Amino acid sequence: MSKATKQRAAEAKRIVAQQKARERRRTVTLWTSVGVVAVLVIAGLIGWAVLAGQEKDTAGSVVVPPTATDDGTAFARGEGPVTIDIYEDFMCPICHEFEDSAGPTITKLVDEKKVTVNYHPISILDRASNGTEYSTRSAGAAAAAAAGGKFYEYHEVLFANQPEENSDGLDNAKLIELGQSVGLTDQAFADAVNNGTYQGWATDVTDKASAAGVTGTPTIKVNGTVLEDRTAAGLEKAVG
Amino acid sequence: MQPWISTAARVGLAVVWLVAGGLKIGDLAASGRAVNAYQIFPYDVAKVIGAAQPFLEIALGLLLLAGLAVRLVAGISAVVLVIFIAGIVSAWVRGLSIDCGCFSSGGQLGAGATPVYGWDIARDAGFLVLAGVLLVWPRTRMSVDSILMGDDK
Repeated sequence: MSKATKQRAAEAKRIVAQQKARERRRTVTLWTSVGVVAVLVIAGLIGWAVLAGQEKDTAGSVVVPPTATDDGTAFARGEGPVTIDIYEDFMCPICHEFEDSAGPTITKLVDEKKVTVNYHPISILDRASNGTEYSTRSAGAAAAAAAGGKFYEYHEVLFANQPEENSDGLDNAKLIELGQSVGLTDQAFADAVNNGTYQGWATDVTDKASAAGVTGTPTIKVNGTVLEDRTAAGLEKAVG
Repeated sequence: MQPWISTAARVGLAVVWLVAGGLKIGDLAASGRAVNAYQIFPYDVAKVIGAAQPFLEIALGLLLLAGLAVRLVAGISAVVLVIFIAGIVSAWVRGLSIDCGCFSSGGQLGAGATPVYGWDIARDAGFLVLAGVLLVWPRTRMSVDSILMGDDK
């Protein structure tokens, strides 16, 4: 073989090798892409399935407190023509502030028979209690208090004893003790708190509030319209 | 020099996705509420997006960490980041007062808190740069791609 022929042969070999490498890259790219898309689709479906499972669990554990109003999502106070809906989380400091600043006005409006107040205890701040889910536990305890006919009193005492955000929250023993301080001395209340009887309900109410467009707490609605000016004066003006 | 820059971008973006997904996966209902707070989708749709999102983020993170189909995963990451940025811009423009829910469960901000949309967007844009590097130079060291392609020898 001449030198030139040898060179040509080597050249041809190199080209073939290059083509093979390119083909390999194409094949690898194709199949890894298919794999990636499959992984992402499956991941999304897993998320959906996990959520569906959780919702099914919640649905199975909903015990609606006997005294609940507004489709079983709230506890009413007063009997006036104007409806005020208050969505509150017992862990939410701004809800506490609202209660402190507008609470007396609300009581006055209730006493004057101008308003019916629907309190919706929802649990959107479970992440702020180190995994003890204080928002859900306290909302469930409030429902138990409502079953005992003491929602409003218990609601007041929960805010008065509000734990710091990102603490463990109040434990069940303390929730029961606070109940006793407002006259919830029966075993039924203590059992409902300890067994988390109404926690599924609290989760369900939170879900329904979100579906109704509530994206944070406190959300105050006056006759269905969200109150922008959440001061005592703003509330009074909206009620008219 | 180059394969190492891309390798760093790949691992960096992987960590971003893993952290973002990991912080949300424990409370899917809250993740759904965070999506709902943008007031773009009906709640039922927002719930499904919120539930799927953390799993998708973790999947993207694991795929990047493994280095599988890096260019495609970087491209998908870029598209997702652009969607996130668009969502934040839209919340900003509409004057919503929400936490972006990027690395948390999000939701509406309290009365005293001010949203930091500018920072959120800048941060997502930074992640977008990482994805861009990988789109242009997808070849990285210590990746499944490089083993399959026969690069690492």
